Amino acid sequence: MLVNEFGKVGLDHHLLVRADEKTVLLEHGCVCCTTREDLVGALLDLLDEEGKGGIASLDRVVVETTGLADPAPILFTVFSHPVLQHHYHVDLVISTVDAVNGELHLDRNPESTKQVATADAVVLTKTDIAEPGGIQALRARLRGINPSARMLEAPFGEIDPEELLRPTAGWSPDESHSGRDPDANRSTPATEALMTEDGDVRHVSRTRSTSLTFDGPVDWAAFGTWLSMLLYARGEDVLRVKGLLDVGEAGPVLLNGVQHIVHPPDHLGEWPDEDRRSRIIFITRGVDSGELLVSLEAFRGIIGAGPRLLEANAPV
Amino acid sequence: MCILCGEFVTRIHWTEKHAEDKARASIDAGAKDENRRNRRRERVRRAAVTNEVLRHYGLRVSDWSGTKYVLRDGKGRSTLVQDLGSLWPAAQKLAGRPLDPLDPALQAALRGASNGAAPATGS
Repeated sequence: MLVNEFGKVGLDHHLLVRADEKTVLLEHGCVCCTTREDLVGALLDLLDEEGKGGIASLDRVVVETTGLADPAPILFTVFSHPVLQHHYHVDLVISTVDAVNGELHLDRNPESTKQVATADAVVLTKTDIAEPGGIQALRARLRGINPSARMLEAPFGEIDPEELLRPTAGWSPDESHSGRDPDANRSTPATEALMTEDGDVRHVSRTRSTSLTFDGPVDWAAFGTWLSMLLYARGEDVLRVKGLLDVGEAGPVLLNGVQHIVHPPDHLGEWPDEDRRSRIIFITRGVDSGELLVSLEAFRGIIGAGPRLLEANAPV
Repeated sequence: MCILCGEFVTRIHWTEKHAEDKARASIDAGAKDENRRNRRRERVRRAAVTNEVLRHYGLRVSDWSGTKYVLRDGKGRSTLVQDLGSLWPAAQKLAGRPLDPLDPALQAALRGASNGAAPATGS
């Protein structure tokens, strides 16, 4: 486990030594901006150690970031580094949310919303001491931000590692907890501007999730043109793109992107389930579902299929 | 390494990853040739569909010997780009205005083109 701490004096590694075979403290704080090279160095060191037989064969590396971390530059580091990109595969982004104070963090810290949006799995911590009603409200809010994330609870800090690290092949509206939630797949204004009595705007960004499918197979080259153009123009506002895309082959393309950064798409050999429709979720800030749909509809001629909202009663 | 410009290309853009990986990974000679042809076909196809969009901005892109793309405007200016990731900022610079798939004017032009109307150029 690679542990990163924002403060000058690292404490976590003293606590984590017991639990982990190799703990490397990344010096000088935030992985995202100031010490990205440290992450590169730490991951390269692990490869060296593995090659020399100094450690057991690497199965998985967990990078624990600070609570203020932006996951995007970390993904970028791994995808773009000439050595790391060939030796490491980013499997999951996991965000933990404090069930007692989570609402407060989401109100106050835009980083929190982004961390939830970029997560593949969200773990609710401290559910043992939180009010049940509060947990329900928080879960609904988190689902509103990111319907594609698996949601797990870790009462007393305990969680089944196998369940936590379970691989997910893309995202299906029926697979996640959210799929059974009638509110899950509609376009959800997750965060509204909240004006307090003293006129203080607590949070002004509007985060929306839009899940859609296509009415036929899409041309992969043309979809790449559309999405790369969208990410160029609006990448800052597209917090997440995730899904399975029917490109007219035996299996779908697994798409996973965080802002400007897109995982190398996997062309799967077969569909993971019976549902052979494309299904893509966009989590955006300041870009409405209607804008995405109208744009995709205009591109229908080159993409080869038109978009359909997965939720019929979604406000467009 | 690009032998012409000396640029060390370490990143393959996500839009090209699949075709590039297949072209490089083939061992069997027959499959290798087929995958290389597929890669070239995909590059040509990518340039063609991107041109549907670029037409609105008075620009045109074409594959350049299977390694880069050449982006040109109507005034004879041109620039080399590596992939779609570097194409859009270069295109915006040549066009002198923002390129955005959410732009209603671009969408109207694309709808007009797919409905068989004369495609709009510039605006």
